[in-house]
Amino acid sequence: MQQPAPAESVEREVVVRASPEETWRALTDPDELREWLAEEAELDLRPGGELGVRIDGETREGFIEEVSEPAADEAGRLAFWWGEPGSELSRVEIELTEVDAGTRVRVIEAQPLVTVETIVIGEIGPDFGGAAPQMSALSIVG
Amino acid sequence: MASVAARDAVFDALADPTRRQVLTLIGEHGEATASALARELPVSRQAIQKHLSSLAAAGLVAAKREGREVRYRLTPAPMSDAVSWMASVGGQWDSRLAALARHLGG
Repeated sequence: MQQPAPAESVEREVVVRASPEETWRALTDPDELREWLAEEAELDLRPGGELGVRIDGETREGFIEEVSEPAADEAGRLAFWWGEPGSELSRVEIELTEVDAGTRVRVIEAQPLVTVETIVIGEIGPDFGGAAPQMSALSIVG
Repeated sequence: MASVAARDAVFDALADPTRRQVLTLIGEHGEATASALARELPVSRQAIQKHLSSLAAAGLVAAKREGREVRYRLTPAPMSDAVSWMASVGGQWDSRLAALARHLGG
């Protein structure tokens, strides 16, 4: 039997002229998020913590999965699950790496294949216990 | 873009590995019957028939009766929904990252 391939995902990156620490704050501090991204932003910055934002009038809610602040020789990583209330959640992973010009911000958002109910009620649980839900594959394409 | 419900139906249908194999096989053969698929997969014809019904409900396959047989073929349209999801989410991140860069003086 053929193994499922990783889920389809969207990947984007940008280099910003700021340190990884400044970039981390811009992405995780609710006051700063309100300056460039969202009308409303709330997040409990710890694995399993809840998050809620309103971007362009659209509400998104979810959970934090991983919080790794950037350190001297280590990339920062923030992973979370989000979606519109009552709909499926997609996983977003943001990685911050120091480069000569500043910080490279890489974002991967995977196609939503997990429902909110699966995460809240199912075996996964909001604290994830170190094991993120398996994303199923769309291996039939191509 | 198609409705959220229609997209959910497509993702639900694709979440099952046997259904993905069924789609792959139909794609390879152009069209196939439930009996032909059951010969190639380690599941019963009845199970294949159930999977074909879910795939048809999601609009991923279409059925055509030919005499005593029902033949299934792929319908390409719903797949473009996954493609439009990627385009839409990609576009959102393009503008969010541009806003982040402006905010940080990039």
